Amino acid sequence: MCDRSIDRRLFVKAGGLALVSLGIDPIFLTRAAYAGRRPRSGGRGKTLVCVFQRGAVDGLSMIVPHGESRYYEERPRIAVARPGRANGALDLDGHFGFHPALAPLHPLYRSGGLAVVHAVGSPDATRSHFDAQDYMETGTPGRKSTRDGWLNRHMAHARDHRDTPFRGVAIGPRMPRALRGAAPALAIDDLRAFGLRGRPGARDRLTAAFEEMYAGATTGLLATSSEEAFEAVRMLRAADPARRSPAHGAEYPASPFGRAMRQIASLIASDLGVEIAFADVGGWDTHVNQGAADGQLAARLNDLALTLAAFAQDLGEGMADVTVLTMSEFGRTIAENGNGGTDHGHGTAMLVLGGATRGGRVYGRWPTLEVAQRFEGRDLAVTTDFRDLFSEVLVKHLGGTDPSAVFPGYVADRRRWLGLL
Amino acid sequence: MLDVVILGQLATVVLGAGAPGASAAVTWARAAVPAVVPAQDSVERARAVHLLNRIAYGPRPGDVELVLRTGVDRFLELQLRPEDIPDSAAAAYLARLDVLRMSARELGRVYLEQQRARRARQRDSAMAPRRAPTPPTGMRRYLGEFQQAVVARAVLSERQLYEVMVDFWTNHFNVFLGKGIDRFLLPSYIEGIIRPRALGKFEDLLIATARSPAMLFYLDNAQSVAPGAEPPQLRRLRERRRMSPMRMERRARADSMLARLERRMPRGLNENYARELLELHTLGVDGGYSQDDIIDVARILTGWGIDRRDGGVEFAFREWAHDRDAKVVLGRTFRAGRGMDEGVELLRFLARHPSTMRFVSAKLCERFVSDRPPDGCIDAGAHAWARTGGDIREVVRAILTSPEFWAPEHRGAKVKTPLEFVASAVRAVGGAPDTTLALAQVVGRLGQPLYLEPAPTGYPEHEEDWVNAGALLQRFNVALAIAAGRAPGVALPAASPIAITTDYDRLVDQVNRVILQHGASAHTVTVMRLQAAEITSASLARTLLIGLALGSAEFQRQ
Repeated sequence: MCDRSIDRRLFVKAGGLALVSLGIDPIFLTRAAYAGRRPRSGGRGKTLVCVFQRGAVDGLSMIVPHGESRYYEERPRIAVARPGRANGALDLDGHFGFHPALAPLHPLYRSGGLAVVHAVGSPDATRSHFDAQDYMETGTPGRKSTRDGWLNRHMAHARDHRDTPFRGVAIGPRMPRALRGAAPALAIDDLRAFGLRGRPGARDRLTAAFEEMYAGATTGLLATSSEEAFEAVRMLRAADPARRSPAHGAEYPASPFGRAMRQIASLIASDLGVEIAFADVGGWDTHVNQGAADGQLAARLNDLALTLAAFAQDLGEGMADVTVLTMSEFGRTIAENGNGGTDHGHGTAMLVLGGATRGGRVYGRWPTLEVAQRFEGRDLAVTTDFRDLFSEVLVKHLGGTDPSAVFPGYVADRRRWLGLL
Repeated sequence: MLDVVILGQLATVVLGAGAPGASAAVTWARAAVPAVVPAQDSVERARAVHLLNRIAYGPRPGDVELVLRTGVDRFLELQLRPEDIPDSAAAAYLARLDVLRMSARELGRVYLEQQRARRARQRDSAMAPRRAPTPPTGMRRYLGEFQQAVVARAVLSERQLYEVMVDFWTNHFNVFLGKGIDRFLLPSYIEGIIRPRALGKFEDLLIATARSPAMLFYLDNAQSVAPGAEPPQLRRLRERRRMSPMRMERRARADSMLARLERRMPRGLNENYARELLELHTLGVDGGYSQDDIIDVARILTGWGIDRRDGGVEFAFREWAHDRDAKVVLGRTFRAGRGMDEGVELLRFLARHPSTMRFVSAKLCERFVSDRPPDGCIDAGAHAWARTGGDIREVVRAILTSPEFWAPEHRGAKVKTPLEFVASAVRAVGGAPDTTLALAQVVGRLGQPLYLEPAPTGYPEHEEDWVNAGALLQRFNVALAIAAGRAPGVALPAASPIAITTDYDRLVDQVNRVILQHGASAHTVTVMRLQAAEITSASLARTLLIGLALGSAEFQRQ
């Protein structure tokens, strides 16, 4: 123990501080010292990016069932017009269409890189945002006391992965429920500000000081976590993903979601071993003045579409190893309300995009909007349990083997999978 | 955010001045000096430090000496009687927080007004894209104040054990501040339900939380009605609609009102509260109950709801919603048709159940003794529970006087939560929260936004939940910022408890004594000396050393 700490201290001292003061960049030295300590490969090199549309997106105006006259009867003021009309939906398959604000994603759909799942959602009936988000992130609908999230449980169960502090990353100030749990994960608000703050020279100096202090004096979780922290800082410094410009002429919107996805693309492109990335996009709780082809919902959808299109363009061929999955806690009422908006509903729509997706199709059994087919007589029914969709993505994209362990209380049944990957 | 400007100065001192070679030479020379082992602490001193770490938010400068003068065991006894401890500093700070003087009704009015204003704004700006969030408004300020009150009490209150217990029950009976009307119900829940009973009888606390509007709304019991039950207003409305001839427009209005009422009307049992009551509040997940028990608990509690009128939200027992049949919970029959009394009987029964005694006692031991507490202290707590009918003060006393609590292997064995880390760091440097609401935000950024844990488990007590790479880096930033006097929300004392000296060995010793209570490992002492040696300014060296000490592994533990 003592010897080890002295060796390490000597190294950090000589490699870090002294060489910096001599003007020699120590990065390759420190990296060399860590090489071999962790497996550099393993897993499949695949990434799953989860996008949570918090606030319950109106699936029926995102993916418009324009082939159904009920839709227009129930929404005299906010329906999206049929394809071919002014500001009409962009046809997908003769029955469904994209909201016109999703135009940036239409080429991706037509080329088969994007699939839509409709009437998907939770088996739980709650219309509380908080409960439904919680159920979707823990992956245990109806059960409130689950502590960890489904993405974290995946990482805890599927151990065959390159061991890197960037395996699970959330962009944002807090770790989302979906990524919380026993497996280490990082919440990064801003790549440029990750690590110790201050001017570059002082920052590195102080980082080295803390590293030295933690090196020999600590055991247990504080030791392993601090090692991960310093390694993450070092990897970020070396790869410097924050400096990377989007490739292939991709342009992200200057929105929080655009910034988040740009950072995720940079982390993936920098080959830091990201397996799970998570980003939030808000503003979907459109109770009042939702709008039709224009308005609040259109603006949010446009931000979503521009960002996802830029993300796919940015990663280019790298998208072959990346799947993006959008999700939202529930959908909204079929009928518009008295304020030109929609209230909390049940089933909604989700998007899957990425190289392996069998896109260009709308998946899921469509229950129709007929009153007798509705959930509790008013909302779009759920015909695809979100856990069926999530399991299929976990197994087929990330090589997960045990979806029943990732979703306790759920019996994985491949026959219910949609076959979209 | 926590931009540490002083680090720029540090960088100049370290990397700019002097010949690099010389600096390295000094380093090695210093490294050769053996660490001065601090004088052997007395047994009593170590006990005092342990007590202050666990029943308080860490020692302030001079606290250990105070406890030694008082006597360690006597200090514990005094802390068990918070009502006898004067607390003027905390009271003076809290006096400026408006939220603590507002009733739930007043706060509710502010909340509802703002809701209305927001909707109106949305209506007016139909076509405008979503705007940036508005600057902090009345409600946000009040809730910010309420979060700040937690940190202020943790740092300033002399009734430290009491504040620790309030934090414990706040998490045990967690309510999420972000869910609907709990935004304005939570302050009165904490002030009126939790705080007055934090060292009282568990049974009273349990019943008070069960009938609190905040809990009834949070865990949906207000939504839970006997299957088929219907509120009398709805029945009346439907009858009137059927019987009386109405003109077209009136009929349309009545129909839409009816439809709205029907949509809002709770349907059937909601088991959420029943399940968490058994799993989290009383018996524990292994407490020996079944799904059938959960259903019958939910049936017993049908009718325990809330009544909203003119801005106020009150508990109401709704006869029409109550299940009138007999129920059986854990083999015990609850006779039919006794309305609200069934629920009170159930809660008393649960509060005295052996599984509850053990489960809650074990949770207290996780807080006070160890993440994986040994049986001895759990037994001690459970016995005291049985003996006193669940007197929390006696249960806590039994745990804190058990041999396990004092066992050397449990000292320094628990990692601090973000709240504990921030409060103890501010206390260690003799600081205080300033007049802003920023210190609570620091705790939030470290991963524990106060009252904002959505899950009914409350914030966890285990180190796995708090120690991770990102969180540690954030703690280092906060440690350095506090040391540099640049942490948002922290007012440092005019005279630092650590005197400046150019004798860096003495400086390190002082930091080790004041901040770490002589707890620094030999390795940490060596590193601190090496780091200080490269800095010429004694004042900067002091800042760096305090920052390193607050960020050290030793300080993350308690």
